Amino acid sequence: MKNIYLLVLIGPLLTANTAVAQESGKLPDRIPSSLMTFFVTSEPIGDGGSLGGLAGADAHCQKLATAVGAGGKMWRAYLSTQARPGQPAVNARDRIGTGPWFSAKERVPDYLNRRLSRPIVQSEIHGDTLDEARRGSNLTKEFALTEKGDLVNGIGDPLPTRHDILTGSRPDGRAFTDNADHTCNNWTSNAAGSAQVGHSDRIGNGNQSWNSSHATTGCSQRDLVSWGGVGLLYCFAVN
Amino acid sequence: MKTILALASLALLTAAVSPAFAQHGMPGGTPMTFFVTSEPIGDGGNLGGLAGADAHCQKLAQAVGAGDRTWRAYLSTQARAGQPAVNARDRIGNGPWYNFDGVMIARDRAHLHGDTLDLARLGNNLTKRTGLTEKGQIVPGLNDYQVPRDSDWEYSKTTPYTNRHEMLTGSQLDGRAYPPGTDYTCSNWTSNSDPAPTQAQLGQEGGPNRPNAQIGFPDRNGGGNGSWNSSHGTTGCSQTALNRTHGVGMFYCFAAN
Repeated sequence: MKNIYLLVLIGPLLTANTAVAQESGKLPDRIPSSLMTFFVTSEPIGDGGSLGGLAGADAHCQKLATAVGAGGKMWRAYLSTQARPGQPAVNARDRIGTGPWFSAKERVPDYLNRRLSRPIVQSEIHGDTLDEARRGSNLTKEFALTEKGDLVNGIGDPLPTRHDILTGSRPDGRAFTDNADHTCNNWTSNAAGSAQVGHSDRIGNGNQSWNSSHATTGCSQRDLVSWGGVGLLYCFAVN
Repeated sequence: MKTILALASLALLTAAVSPAFAQHGMPGGTPMTFFVTSEPIGDGGNLGGLAGADAHCQKLAQAVGAGDRTWRAYLSTQARAGQPAVNARDRIGNGPWYNFDGVMIARDRAHLHGDTLDLARLGNNLTKRTGLTEKGQIVPGLNDYQVPRDSDWEYSKTTPYTNRHEMLTGSQLDGRAYPPGTDYTCSNWTSNSDPAPTQAQLGQEGGPNRPNAQIGFPDRNGGGNGSWNSSHGTTGCSQTALNRTHGVGMFYCFAAN
């Protein structure tokens, strides 16, 4: 009889504990998730818009990924370069494979068996159709984590803001075609020039573009910082 | 005498300051012409039709001294026999619309809805930081307060900081009504009923005999896409069902004039 009373008392407690465990179980133990195929660099290269070209930027992605055990994939920086004599333009969207891409933290499916952190999809992040552009993608502040699974400081967070991500790209993910500099001289300048940036938290400059919100006023590290960035990059796994 | 003068000038000061605050937006700044309702009507998808929803907007605006405008709920209704569809985008005036802080949400209807590819790709300025209530509050969203029972209305109704970022719209991405048939508007905002138990948990799409409302996110974070006005449906139209997917039946209000 006593045992029954005890069970009646403990029953609800057990249930509550299980609920809490399930809730905290939303996040996997391993960060980054083995599924990770997208991250924002936790650190900049640190020399303004001079990244050592696309190769230097790719190497930075690969290095950071390797440091967290995700070096088995081929990582590419999401950057465009502009056409030069004898050198065609490179479009960021064409460098990153086909996706879909997952973030550093993957959640277990929710009660309707949906993944809350739905992967991001090539056509959605670039808004290839009007419906896709209007609906948007799941590339949110909570999805755009560093390779260590950390949030990137954005508007409203403690300073310094780090949400300006170098892309050199138009909203559709392609290189600019005019004569102005949008890529810090194809990612070799740390002085003159300008770089197009997007916002990893989707807030700023009156729009929500993750890849093409505004231009910087220069290419030095100091210039980048004055606009709310430090020269971080988006990295995508190609395979 | 001095005291009287001081009092008089104080009174003058107060009089001078109050109207500015009453206008909302920063003192002396742009008056508020957009807000998210700080509270739901509370009967699920039954808002008393568009008229009931508009009245709720007007009431909340009135309470903060912004009642001198014509407030409209951003809601569509679907066509019924002898009753044409109403598009949310056609109800809200021409903009521009400013939030509690005097920050512009969108220049016009084309900007708000992304009517061209270029506009849609860049997006409007409705974000978690700007999608404020008429009291200037940020709407609690995903993972803000880590409340375990944030899908349980019995808990949410007394806990104002549970995730409640799903705004009823009943609208397509372009701000227009859905064609008749499948329910996207809780029967044009008159229903608080849920699907039959056999159809429960089938997901968030409407369907035959599946009461449902299309919703969007002011914080642009949810549903795998972050659409502000047309992200996904609900599991039903009761208050309990709305909360199951993290809504409580709030909606957007725009000043039409």
